[in-house]
Amino acid sequence: MKQRIIVIALLLASAGVQAQEIEGTIRYLVTHNWSKKMAAVDYISKQQRERIAYMWGNRSEWKMFANMYITPTVTKYEDSEEKAEPDDEGYSWRKEVFMVKHDYAANTMQDVVQIFGKTYIVEDSLRAPEWKILNDLKEVAGHICMKASWTDTLKQQKVIAWFAMDIPISAGPERFYGLPGLILEVDVNDGGMLVSADKIDLKKITTELDLPKKLKAKKISEAEYLALLKKHMDQKKEEEEPPFWGIRY
Amino acid sequence: MNKHAWLLALLFLCTALSAQNPSRVTIKGAVIDTSGDETPLPTVMLLNPSDSTLVNFTRGDNNGAFSFKNVKNVPYLLKVSYVGYLPLQQHLPASATETNDVGTIRIKPITNELMEVVVRAAKATLSIRGDTIEYDASSFKVPPGSTVEDMLRRLPGINVDADGNISAQGKDVKRVYVDGKTFFGDDPKAATKNLGAETISKVQVYNEASEQSKLTGVDDGKDQKAMNLELKEEYKKGAFGKITGAVGTEERWASRGNYNRFNTKEQFSIIAYANNINQTGVNWEDYGEFKGQNTFNDYDNGDFGFGGNRNYYFGGEDSDVPFNNFDGRGFTENFGGGANYNFDNKKTKFNSSYFYNQTELTLDQSAFRQTFLQDSTFSNTDTSSRLDFRSNHSISSRFEQEIDSNNVLIIKANTRFSHNDARYNQAQYFTDNNDLPSNSLDINNDNLFDSWRLSGSGIFRHRFKKKGRSVAVSAGYNGSKSDGTENLFSLNRFFRATTITEQIRQLNVNDNTGQQLKSSLLFTEPLSKKWFWETFYNFARSNNKVNRQVVDPELNNERINDLSVFYDNTVLYNRLGSSIRYSNNGLNATAGLAAQNLQLDGAYSIDRDMPLLTDPIQRSFLNYTPNFDINYETPFNLWLGANYNYEINEPQLSDLQPIHNVNNPAYRIEGNPNLGPQRSHSMGLNLNYWNPASLSNVGIGAGLNLYDDQIVYNQTIEVIDSIGVRTTTRPDNVSGGNNFNLYLWSNFPIVKTKLTMNINGDANLGKSLSQVNSIENETFNKGFNIRVGFNATPTQKLIFGLNAGLRLNNISYSIQEEQNQQIKNYNVDASVKWQFLSKSFFESNFNYAVYRNDRFNFNQDIPTWNASVRRILGKQNRLEMRFAAFDIFNRRVSITQNATQNYVIRNIAGTLARYFMLSASYNMRGYENKINKNQWW
Repeated sequence: MKQRIIVIALLLASAGVQAQEIEGTIRYLVTHNWSKKMAAVDYISKQQRERIAYMWGNRSEWKMFANMYITPTVTKYEDSEEKAEPDDEGYSWRKEVFMVKHDYAANTMQDVVQIFGKTYIVEDSLRAPEWKILNDLKEVAGHICMKASWTDTLKQQKVIAWFAMDIPISAGPERFYGLPGLILEVDVNDGGMLVSADKIDLKKITTELDLPKKLKAKKISEAEYLALLKKHMDQKKEEEEPPFWGIRY
Repeated sequence: MNKHAWLLALLFLCTALSAQNPSRVTIKGAVIDTSGDETPLPTVMLLNPSDSTLVNFTRGDNNGAFSFKNVKNVPYLLKVSYVGYLPLQQHLPASATETNDVGTIRIKPITNELMEVVVRAAKATLSIRGDTIEYDASSFKVPPGSTVEDMLRRLPGINVDADGNISAQGKDVKRVYVDGKTFFGDDPKAATKNLGAETISKVQVYNEASEQSKLTGVDDGKDQKAMNLELKEEYKKGAFGKITGAVGTEERWASRGNYNRFNTKEQFSIIAYANNINQTGVNWEDYGEFKGQNTFNDYDNGDFGFGGNRNYYFGGEDSDVPFNNFDGRGFTENFGGGANYNFDNKKTKFNSSYFYNQTELTLDQSAFRQTFLQDSTFSNTDTSSRLDFRSNHSISSRFEQEIDSNNVLIIKANTRFSHNDARYNQAQYFTDNNDLPSNSLDINNDNLFDSWRLSGSGIFRHRFKKKGRSVAVSAGYNGSKSDGTENLFSLNRFFRATTITEQIRQLNVNDNTGQQLKSSLLFTEPLSKKWFWETFYNFARSNNKVNRQVVDPELNNERINDLSVFYDNTVLYNRLGSSIRYSNNGLNATAGLAAQNLQLDGAYSIDRDMPLLTDPIQRSFLNYTPNFDINYETPFNLWLGANYNYEINEPQLSDLQPIHNVNNPAYRIEGNPNLGPQRSHSMGLNLNYWNPASLSNVGIGAGLNLYDDQIVYNQTIEVIDSIGVRTTTRPDNVSGGNNFNLYLWSNFPIVKTKLTMNINGDANLGKSLSQVNSIENETFNKGFNIRVGFNATPTQKLIFGLNAGLRLNNISYSIQEEQNQQIKNYNVDASVKWQFLSKSFFESNFNYAVYRNDRFNFNQDIPTWNASVRRILGKQNRLEMRFAAFDIFNRRVSITQNATQNYVIRNIAGTLARYFMLSASYNMRGYENKINKNQWW
């Protein structure tokens, strides 16, 4: 396993060298759909999930923007200040603290996440999930992408990712990464959450990659983070409540 | 196990040794175009051949040469991808040498038309399955009504000749399948000429072995092209429904059913119910399945400004579908049914529904009422019976069109026809201070009432180019008309007066019309990213014409002038306001001010064409109403909110009429044409805390109302010779009243996921001022309510609930302090749900209620116990049989105790008591074979 990580890290680093010209900001449109998220919670009875889908339909959808700043070796992903919904009736919710910073040359992550309102910084080495590579192509934001899939058994998520064949950076939105190209679109649980690049703006990055100086967050490892998540998932299952409130989907 | 593992390891070792493969290997090769062009920097991946899992990847150099150094020597699937080329996969067995040179890999370009037309222009997904290339045909836009053939003509690489013969990549397509199956015989044109283009999601073209080689199993090399058309998901329709029938003892019966059909754009449903077990409408689950995507609506009545925020609401007051909201008194027989249609393609939303319902209520009740005067007290005991039939036809429609991303139009229209036929008999028995009988009054009233209501409104929203700047305009019309007759008879018998009996007969004919026109305007201007400035204007003009003609049937239906009235009342409402809003990262605050003008115009005469009784009443009220609202979400799951507003409520029409209503001669209701609007300072505070780690919640809130001009009902109580004790109420404005309330709720686990506790409490303190015989009476009301509950789920198949509540009401009267009293209601409730066999359930609920008022020595206990057993039958759990017992102790009655102003009242009504019921239900979707901890609709 360790060896594999090192190999990937080396490869990523070498890929980075070749892609030196790529630097800029990618804006992702994130579409959440509550009834589709409910549809994937298998411990809530089928009858209840069907009723939710029937009653909520298209009304259970909300949209937001997120930005990813990319350089050949370091990337950072965070929610955008920009609102994707028309804000003429604006109510501003508290912004969840969420920042994903990966250094593919050093093979490290510094992911600032919130679980139940508590802020953690996950500092660890990068360990890509076991992506399956599929034979489908489509265009996302002007780039031809190839399809990959992964099943997150912990969060009960079926993930479909589309990675650009011509942007050799192994990063992606949210906490998804580890493919031969930049992930431009992710579909989690058949539309429960759809993250899709809608604007690519290539220009020099300055301070965007920095994490905020005033950051109160407890340092944990990826394993500790997953343990926290597992405890939450198990508890919600026991309570027969949807697991996706209080954690990042 | 261990033995096996050793054996396996040994086996592996042997194989490895015998093959003598190195454990690590370097894989290298080069990628080049089939025509020999260079493909610089290709992506090369090593996948696990069993499940395509990515093991390793690299990028080739400028000449396409690549290498994987020092990777595990196992079989791989080598995959090459390159923009504009078909992904290539080839099996790579474990290598016998330390370097595995795979040589030159030639990749095939994707035809230009597939790339440009399919992928880039139509944004369709291209899927490569061996030799099949398929793509999402729905991405190609064709005019509505086109056939598949019309669509195929547009697809790259496919040709359709004049006769409809299809060829793909130059070869004839011999077979066309639909969802993998032959479609009406062998003619490939049958499907393409007859199926609508909008039904197809994917087109797949592939090589199929010829019939000959299919038979022989020998590839004759004569591949032919075949095409598969995949149907869209939404054309795979769905349907669900259920039906229940039940019979019981005591002539009880019930039935209900619903049926729904839907696809991704449309929903259609019908529902019906009939019963005599006091289910007066539908429950929430039925409502949701009936209304479908229209269950939750934007609460958008177009009244912009303070108090007009958009929210989701569920059903609600104005709902056209009746909810089961029986108040526990009497017996009802109910029928209802309706149909609903929804359409939603994200841009256009339309829905329309019709509902009919009727309820016949038979109610016998007795009431005890004691009234306090400054120096005396009198009581009356009433027994009454009511037969009340109500029916409604409702039609409602809503249309929403997103014209483009900046313009939205919403149009709503509702109408309702109602009919009410009521017969009311009441016997009142009055006693004086010394408990001596004074008189008795028998009342016999018949009412017949028909009404019609129509409301329509339109809202248009426009967003400007500048982000955050928007304007919204609304216009609405409400119209109503009602006709009614009341046939009144009363007989008053005196025990001590000179007049022994007094008889009154009266016929009231009512004819009311109401019309309202209203319009609102809202303009939002962003001052910065966080600051917004809103300006709004509201206008409404309401006109009501009430004609109430009272005649005496004993005197040739001659009009009784002092009880008859025609009044024409117009209320003009204008409000102009402005507010500043700040919203950023969980902090939302609004401060604003509005100027509100109310203009009341009333003209009163005895009948429509008669001279006015008084000069027309013209009154105008100008008020400035400030409004503050702040909500803050802290980073640690704590929400805080505070608000203040100056509330103005215009007086009700019936309170303004300058004539008295004497449907009950002992209780006269008078109007007051000089009544002004009710004005109050209203403020609130609330706090909510959620701890997701410990799964606990706390909520605390407080509200305070200080009245400047409260509308109260002053009483004049006098002894009239021909009537006995007569109470006359008249509304008036008074200041000084107030009301304070406090609530608290919390739930938290005692044993996580197994045992939770919840506490709910509230307190209500109020002072109300009103006059009794021109003497000011201050009533202080202190109400306390606390409820503690436990919920236990020891296993997935067993749920217990236990909760207990106490409600106290202390009332003190300034005019007669010795009448101060305390009303107590206690209540304990225990329930169990138990899945005792895999498909069998036991459910039971026991409630013990105690009603007490020590001052009257009133003390009554009511235990009620319901229990049922049900079993789900059939492979797909579609049948359910249920046996239920209601009120096993046969003790159920309805008791309400209430005290306000200068009287205390207790009401006891009969209702449905013990019965047993057997029901059978069929559900197309199948019944849930478990107990749900939570009800997610």
